[in-house]
Amino acid sequence: MSELERLQAEFQRSILGQNSAVLEHVMDGPREQRDVLFGVYKNGYASRLTEVLRKDHEYLHAYLGDEMFDQMSKLYIAEHPSQQPNLRWFSRELPDLLRTAPPFAEYPEIADLAALERDLNDCFDAPDAPVLAAADFAGIAAERWTDLRFVPHPSARRLDLLTNAADIWLALKSDEAPPDAVRLGSACRLLIWRQDVTPRFRELTDEEAMMWDEAARGLPFGVLCSMLAMHDDPDGAAGRAAGYLQQWVTTDLLAGLS
Amino acid sequence: MTISPQRIDPALGRDPRTSRHGQKPDFLGFGLGLRAQHYADILDGDPPVDWFEIISENYMIPGGQPLRILDRIRERFPVVMHGVSLSIASTSPPDFGYLQMLKDLAQRVEPRWVSDHLCWTGVHGQNLHDLLPIPYTHEALDYVVNRVQLVQDYLGRALVLENASTYVQFRHQDMTEWEFLTELTRRSGCFLLLDINNVYVSAFNHGFDPHEFLEGIPTDRVVQFHMAGHSHMGTHIIDTHDHLVCDDVFDLYRAALKRFGAVSTMVERDDNIPPLDELLAEVQRTREIAAEILSADDRDRAS
Ligand SMILES: [Fe+2]
Repeated sequence: MSELERLQAEFQRSILGQNSAVLEHVMDGPREQRDVLFGVYKNGYASRLTEVLRKDHEYLHAYLGDEMFDQMSKLYIAEHPSQQPNLRWFSRELPDLLRTAPPFAEYPEIADLAALERDLNDCFDAPDAPVLAAADFAGIAAERWTDLRFVPHPSARRLDLLTNAADIWLALKSDEAPPDAVRLGSACRLLIWRQDVTPRFRELTDEEAMMWDEAARGLPFGVLCSMLAMHDDPDGAAGRAAGYLQQWVTTDLLAGLS
Repeated sequence: MTISPQRIDPALGRDPRTSRHGQKPDFLGFGLGLRAQHYADILDGDPPVDWFEIISENYMIPGGQPLRILDRIRERFPVVMHGVSLSIASTSPPDFGYLQMLKDLAQRVEPRWVSDHLCWTGVHGQNLHDLLPIPYTHEALDYVVNRVQLVQDYLGRALVLENASTYVQFRHQDMTEWEFLTELTRRSGCFLLLDINNVYVSAFNHGFDPHEFLEGIPTDRVVQFHMAGHSHMGTHIIDTHDHLVCDDVFDLYRAALKRFGAVSTMVERDDNIPPLDELLAEVQRTREIAAEILSADDRDRAS
């Protein structure tokens, strides 16, 4: 092991608070002790990563308040040290930690809020793709419709929440007092995507969520209509399917047909 | 101390302006760091800025608005790329995934140059996301020279490396920071970005004369100056980039202009970001100071 390698390993250990052995290798400054000077690196590490979490999770921060959010950040930084060169991806495992780590796991709306914000962040800079327009359907012969498959826009993702976190998030975003957290009897089914450059989400009915999930899996339109017929009034199924499809197209949710 | 120039690139022996990865880039004028808060003002207006510097990592993403805006800005302004995660001095193996993304972004942006810092950001697969200091030893120099050459070969272009602000100095050092930078640029063919504020900060923190630093850097290798603000803690200074550039740093900038001549200068603000106009006023100040110093220089030469 080279001198430089040894020194960097010790420097890193000391920043992470595992020991302070590196202080033997550094000098006092002309006006300040070395432990204070080294502290600039040590303090900078935690505060920089906390800052990233605050930026990525603005409304989770608003919901938890400074003290609780900082406690959460400390835990996350210790459990999930950054392993990527780009800070953009640092916060991605936060919802997973919040689902399992006490005391946060006792309040499932906290992990739900984090999951919603993660998905919104992810669709903000998801890959670009051309979007389907109504005109793209114009020339399709009637007999081809049953075999038609839909390609979701790469920014689109589904999220099922077991709490009213979406309402809490919306209230916080409009600077209103959030409603009390409640566990829902049936999941809140969200579709999250980017329209032009803006991340959006909306709640789907069980039926639309089912159709979206199966369409995203590559099932053709004919099968989707049959599924809707089993789910609800069979006579109106084709019409409902066409209605959902039209809304997907007008809100830039589809990137292609096959 | 003496430094023996080992393995000097033969191309450097012929003409100090060239390296195996190309010519010293041309003077771009007076630029500003591109920040998301100013996107709309820049696109809708006509800011008096000669060029923009982007933080490379902010655009090393799959898609969406930042890349689209960058495409529009580079249609109107020269752009340079400035990274924070190259970790050129890390003793961990190079991250080729990162290097490939950097190369891909450079292909899209066609920057005038690509810069990062003389520092390391972590080892053992961990990233501390800070510009960490290195000991100025022969061992470290040999190591970083090799590493710079490897990265330059991979990217197919010369790197530009910046002096970082540092808070500690190591006990065992064989040379000064400016001697290290000089040897590094000579031996690896990389160019230098002098952050005038970082020179000032490190000089204060370690008790050296910032002018001695400037005098120790070869005039033909510097392609860019950074101007930034800092936080003075009394006994030490922290490089926070959240304030206006202070008068002392502008004075050091004057000295740098006298030594290095016209060097592309850029105002770097990363935190506490004010409205665009406030930063444009700082860019204007760098422009005016440079005009004053460089025209006086011309008069001196003529007389
Ligand atoms: Fe800088």
